[in-house]
Amino acid sequence: MLIVENVVKAFGSLVVLDGVSLTVKPGEVVTILGSSGSGKSTLIRCINGIEKLDAGRITVDDFDVTKPRELAEARKRSGTVFQLFNLYPHMTALSNITLAPIEVLKRPRAEAEAEARALLASVGLEDKVDVYPAQLSGGQRQRVGICRALAMKPRYLLLDEVTSALDPEMTSEVLDILAKLARDGTTMVFVTHEIEFARRISDRIVFLEKGKLITNLPTAEFFSAAGGLALPRVAQFLSKMQKA
Amino acid sequence: MRLDLSLLIPYIGLLAEGAVMTLEIAVLSLAGSVVLGMVVAIARAGKSATMRRIAFFYADVFRNVPFIVQLFFFYYGLPEIGIYIDAFTTGVVALSIAGGAYASDVIRAGILAIDDGILEAAEVSGLSRRKIFTLIVLPIALRTSVRPLGSVLINIILTSSVLSTITLNELTGQARIVSSDTFRPFEVYVVLLAVYGVLTYLVSTGVSMLHRRLNRDLQPEVN
Ligand SMILES: Nc1ncnc2c1ncn2[C@@H]1O[C@H](COP(=O)(O)OP(=O)(O)OP(=O)(O)O)[C@@H](O)[C@H]1O
Ligand SMILES: [Mg+2]
Repeated sequence: MLIVENVVKAFGSLVVLDGVSLTVKPGEVVTILGSSGSGKSTLIRCINGIEKLDAGRITVDDFDVTKPRELAEARKRSGTVFQLFNLYPHMTALSNITLAPIEVLKRPRAEAEAEARALLASVGLEDKVDVYPAQLSGGQRQRVGICRALAMKPRYLLLDEVTSALDPEMTSEVLDILAKLARDGTTMVFVTHEIEFARRISDRIVFLEKGKLITNLPTAEFFSAAGGLALPRVAQFLSKMQKA
Repeated sequence: MRLDLSLLIPYIGLLAEGAVMTLEIAVLSLAGSVVLGMVVAIARAGKSATMRRIAFFYADVFRNVPFIVQLFFFYYGLPEIGIYIDAFTTGVVALSIAGGAYASDVIRAGILAIDDGILEAAEVSGLSRRKIFTLIVLPIALRTSVRPLGSVLINIILTSSVLSTITLNELTGQARIVSSDTFRPFEVYVVLLAVYGVLTYLVSTGVSMLHRRLNRDLQPEVN
């Protein structure tokens, strides 16, 4: 289980996460919605240990990210896919994917490479194995980014606006892959502005408003008049997003 | 007076020896500069305030003092306090220290230019700080630094001519000997101009090739 407990995070005097609690069970897809600046990225960055918490606790399968000795284990259990891909520019698609399995998990190179090839094939990039990031389109880069995260066999996949740097065609390339992962039971924490897509693949939707989690509901309920839509902020957000 | 290069034929061997020594010195000093430059760049980007201060001090001092003064200090100054180093070693050490001050700037700039997102990706993947440095930071920094490091190397080659002042018979040193043997400084130094020109041209061509190789992903794909 991924447990976020009363997390507080401030930058100077700006409180960005204000007592956030959230539990993600294995197999669940949880989508985080919220307007710009509400703290979604910061929450993801707290879960993968990039940001230090000011208060509260985050455990990934019982490994506490706030404890330096447990952070490494916690990190092995989660994988992150980034908005701007963040691929290693000096390495081929294959090496981008095999680096951490070889260096962190100490997997034999041949095995790691065979798995990476299979992953690339599963996202339609079997012919891009030896290509460098600069030679790939945005959608292809993000597919490599997803493979890089999956190669570590994470129990939780963290995705922060992974399609917002992509044009519509590339977005659907990437969303198709995420939908397939969701069907296969991959646990995901998913920050997105793709509301319709979130509605299709999520088990639950949480809404962040100025650093506070104001709802945490099963997807159908979130979109129902008596559930999420009963909250003015959520209704306002959804109508704005649907117009856009 | 006519230019008559044929009278230098008997001295070709001597001049070639000098050129070889210049290259040896340049290659060793480049290696020294890059290693020193890396260490200093790491210290300048590092956590310890004392290390940072020492690193900045070093980079400032050795860029702001004439090379020949540094060289004389090592070669003529240090023996006064009981430290004797032979001329070749002194030359290589002095050039490495001076070159390292420049190389550290270049490498530091390369490190600072790396996108934070790339480092975050490496960090969350569980790589240790040391692995991130050796497998991600340095290779990316070197990609962008090859060209400016090439300029450091060329500077080292040019500056190495000063080593003739501490009795080292590198290219310029040999040329001075040949010149005083033949009483034909004009011919000798015409050749010297050409040899330095060719040497640095070859180096810059090599650097360009290396740059292209390290950045081969940025070349248009060849189908
Ligand atoms: N390193 C930082 N230093 C200072 N302030 C920061 C830092 N990172 C984030 N913030 C601030 O924290 C707030 C929340 O940022 P965050 O990136 O988590 O928002 P978000 O919900 O992901 O927004 P978006 O939808 O635009 O990506 C913003 O006001 C932002 O300016
Ligand atoms: Mg964000």
